[in-house]
Amino acid sequence: MTLSLYVPGESPLHRLTPGPKLAGLATAGLALVLVDEPAILAGFAALALALLLLSRVPVSQLRGQLTTTAILVALVVAASVWLDGWREAAAAGLRVAALVLLGIVVTATTRVSDLLETLERLLAPLDRIGLVRSADVALAIALVLRFVPEILAESRAIREARAARGMRVGPVALVVPLVVRTLVNADAIAAAIEARGGPRSPAEASHGLQESRKKAVPHEHP
Amino acid sequence: MHILLENVVVRAQDRPILRGIDCVLTERRIGIVGANGSGKSTFARLLNGLVLPDEGRVVVEGLDTTRDVKAVRREVGFVFQNPDNQIVFPIVVEDVAFGLRNRGHSKSEARERAAAALDAYGLGHLAERAAHTLSGGEKQMVALVSVLVTRPGIVVMDEPTTLLDLRNRNRIRDAVAALEQPAIVVSHDLDLLSDFDRVLVVADGRIAYDDRPEPAIRRYVEAFS
Amino acid sequence: MACKRAARKPFRMSTRDLVLIALFAAITAAMGLMPPISVGFLPVPITLQTLGVMLAGLMLGPVRGGLALALLVLLVAIGLPVLAGGRGGFGVLLGPTGGFIVGWIVGAFVTGLVAQRTTRVGSWGARDLAFALLACLAGGVVAVYAIGIPWLAVVTGMDLVQAAAGSAVFLPGDAVKAIVAVLVARGVQRAYPMKLR
Repeated sequence: MTLSLYVPGESPLHRLTPGPKLAGLATAGLALVLVDEPAILAGFAALALALLLLSRVPVSQLRGQLTTTAILVALVVAASVWLDGWREAAAAGLRVAALVLLGIVVTATTRVSDLLETLERLLAPLDRIGLVRSADVALAIALVLRFVPEILAESRAIREARAARGMRVGPVALVVPLVVRTLVNADAIAAAIEARGGPRSPAEASHGLQESRKKAVPHEHP
Repeated sequence: MHILLENVVVRAQDRPILRGIDCVLTERRIGIVGANGSGKSTFARLLNGLVLPDEGRVVVEGLDTTRDVKAVRREVGFVFQNPDNQIVFPIVVEDVAFGLRNRGHSKSEARERAAAALDAYGLGHLAERAAHTLSGGEKQMVALVSVLVTRPGIVVMDEPTTLLDLRNRNRIRDAVAALEQPAIVVSHDLDLLSDFDRVLVVADGRIAYDDRPEPAIRRYVEAFS
Repeated sequence: MACKRAARKPFRMSTRDLVLIALFAAITAAMGLMPPISVGFLPVPITLQTLGVMLAGLMLGPVRGGLALALLVLLVAIGLPVLAGGRGGFGVLLGPTGGFIVGWIVGAFVTGLVAQRTTRVGSWGARDLAFALLACLAGGVVAVYAIGIPWLAVVTGMDLVQAAAGSAVFLPGDAVKAIVAVLVARGVQRAYPMKLR
């Protein structure tokens, strides 16, 4: 599984650093929710479409996202026509289309690692005044990327184990063992991070077996 | 290597896990065996400050683990039983670089040294792989390299071969034999310990036997069969 | 009660807290990527993702639960497909349903706050179950909708009543998830008692 919506390419949008793209996105987002005039909104939607073409990302790579967007726009327009009439429906549909397309363009043309670096730079001032620790944020993001595939594999194993015994897998029977195993693993993962001097390792540790528990893990749960 | 344990007691929720350990560890290869729940994992965790004594003291190369946790953890590398929980970054080379980053190396320098360390252990081809796609043996080797890359003075391992198949056990055995540092290895894998200098048998929170491997393992096997 | 004393102490994050925050963000992401599950009387299969919001609050408490969902929203923002059906990126956050996703942060916090003050650590009785359900509804439903509905109204130009009416179709599914979350939390508390922070 590749956990990314980035589509590699050589367009000017790909070469642009994340900073201006994010600033542009934020500005456009603000403008779009403040404007009600369908003509202006149509201009934004056209701009978003133009940027999408400029990015030269093959439509086939975006099919899923574009389909979802089309359905979303159709739903919004349908609801809005029924509730408010055509003018408002056009405004709402164009606004949603522009917002979502701009977001898709930025996401498709910017590497996750570049966004992470920009994020680190954005957090640096907060780090200096002690509000956020950017090392923590970086480690936390890495942990999520590391363990999502493991948790998915674990959930498949739990489903298969129950299916093999002819049991239906309801959400409670699936999620309880998943969460318990994850909690037990959390102790081991934390110990491994501290052993390698991770960012939250204490200068002085507390005594005894801190919060870790030696309790047996139930492999299946009623 | 010089590690001193003096009258060490460790309790968990008032239940004693270790009840008075006294020993001096100086040999190059020391094995620790014992039944499940005997306290041998806690023993290993004392040696790099992951567990601190409730009574007594542990002194590693002159550093008291209670007072100098950070320095002790720099000195003592720790390899865990389950590499799944030890590898914390999504990409192999990033994980190996983690310990270096924590010691203040820049991102690019840490990455370069991590890649070089992987190459040195014949794992260069795994550098850019996603950690969750590795086999169990590959994961344990990566976990080992991610500890060795920071050049610890002492390596402690907690059952490094328990979850592995025979072929991968041999790989880890070879890697342990080749270590330049002194190593303290907790293991059920008695073959792994057979050419060590000294074996401690832990039972019920105490050191039951302390001898050369052959007599210590023989008495351990007799006691539990 | 032990959990109440813990609540008054200022929050100092340990490595274990950091790991728990990341793992609950990962569980919530994984729930969105799993195939949808059919539940009893509901006509359509549901995704479990909003279950993660309530569980983070119930299992971790307000601060860690809220941070877990904040981490997930951050991952959505940097373009990772961690939402149900593999969606992600700014497009989703800026779209009509973006408020519901950002609202998860407050939702997990509120769920955790109510649960921390009303439920025990360890085995749960009927009273704990009732309050846990209340916590899930207050956080996972009321708080999330309180942010999601105005956002929906602003983006689509509907008025609030219309936006609320449109969102009501998700209520039965969310109510079922609240019940599931409470049952899961009871099962987990029994096997692995957790103090909420």
